[in-house]
Amino acid sequence: MSRHSYPALTRRMFILGSGAALGTSALPMALRAAVPADSAMAVVAFDGDALLAAGSNLIRSEDNGKSWTALPVPAAILGLATHPAQPGHLFAGLASGGVVLSQDGGRSWETRSRGLAEGEVDAVAVAAGQPDMFYAAVRGDGLWKSEDAGGNWSLAIDRPWLEDAERDPLALASVDLATGMGGIWIYAGTPAGLTRVPDCFCRWQDVQPGDAMDALVAGDTPPSEAPLPRSEPVRALASALSAPETLYAALPSGVWTSRDGGVVWSHVAQGSASAVAVHPADEKRLIAALDGVLKLSRDGGANWTTLAVA
Amino acid sequence: MTRKLIIIASATVTSLVAIAALAQQQDHDASAEGLTVLGEPVTMEEIAVGRQLYAESCASCHGANLEGQADWKRRLDNGRMPAPPHDETGHTWHHSDQDLFTITKNGVEAVVPGYESDMPAFEGTLDDAEIRAVLAYIKSTWPERQRTFQAKVTANDEDRS
Repeated sequence: MSRHSYPALTRRMFILGSGAALGTSALPMALRAAVPADSAMAVVAFDGDALLAAGSNLIRSEDNGKSWTALPVPAAILGLATHPAQPGHLFAGLASGGVVLSQDGGRSWETRSRGLAEGEVDAVAVAAGQPDMFYAAVRGDGLWKSEDAGGNWSLAIDRPWLEDAERDPLALASVDLATGMGGIWIYAGTPAGLTRVPDCFCRWQDVQPGDAMDALVAGDTPPSEAPLPRSEPVRALASALSAPETLYAALPSGVWTSRDGGVVWSHVAQGSASAVAVHPADEKRLIAALDGVLKLSRDGGANWTTLAVA
Repeated sequence: MTRKLIIIASATVTSLVAIAALAQQQDHDASAEGLTVLGEPVTMEEIAVGRQLYAESCASCHGANLEGQADWKRRLDNGRMPAPPHDETGHTWHHSDQDLFTITKNGVEAVVPGYESDMPAFEGTLDDAEIRAVLAYIKSTWPERQRTFQAKVTANDEDRS
């Protein structure tokens, strides 16, 4: 269906409102002054143990957030993905359109957009079990996939249909849970909530308990569900490779977590969350942007430490 | 001489027709090598029946050559997705036999609750044997890779059941 516009979201406001705060002309450099908190928090990620936060610029910490290095970016970053099998490889979606790949931890970038539709790339993901399988959500267009680390792109499926309209994914996560169709799931956070599609791309569908149909057929009580708040956009999603049932989501109401693949969610942090990521080998280690501040948790979100970006 | 020739020629033709008919019968009875639907071997006759039923009941949306509707990855104006291909370019081979049977008989909503699709449920239009024949025909067109993949999906689905 045709492209349409919608009100800018908080995550984009971070970038647009503060995109020039640092600039990249003098980068890379060790940051000595406090970085305006919201200038680098459109997305966060782990590259192994290293912490990354990106927006109009990219900052990287190798020491759990004690110090940060600013790195150049070709344009404001809306989506960022990594994979533990490819340390130092950063895959980013750009506000200017297209995607880029860094193979040196963010120090240099190359465009990987052949065949990809034009338009802002709001979200990206790397397939959990296939580090060369990339996904990109192009605003107003659809979900695209590349089987060769961005070398070539093809349309996978149109945007999800939620509440009587097509919705742009704001976040993507490859979730290593079996679909029953020989593959795994790709979850998407949208302005109208959470949805998911099997990686055969047959159809977007609600997150349901695995035995929901069995209960329906048997006339049993449906499995319990506690979905994310329906009135809020899902700005970021993270799936723990070490425990695929464990998901995290960033919403205006805070950080939420699920231990069962997205059926039952609980609220683990208050505040306006714009980004969240989980360590690839430790599902309790998180980085999030809450109320414009970077925070780290080592216990699945029960306790948080504010990171001084200085 | 001429009469003898006519008799010989007639006998030869009759024999050939009989041989061809026998071969055709054996062909129809023969199972399609390695191909099953819902755990039962598929016969060539089932595939032929399925091809005819597909042309009558499915091809108008999914394409005479199983190619699906044009631009099938793009949503229709009503928000629903077009009919996908059933050949190897689509995703049909990612679904188990039971899911394909259930979708065909009861509609997509029977496997994805709440999902809205333009595809009707065929219960009351096709009986179980006819649905099975249609699936046999579709599966018979897949290359080996897709057949093998779909056989694993079906086996996993059966194990879960």
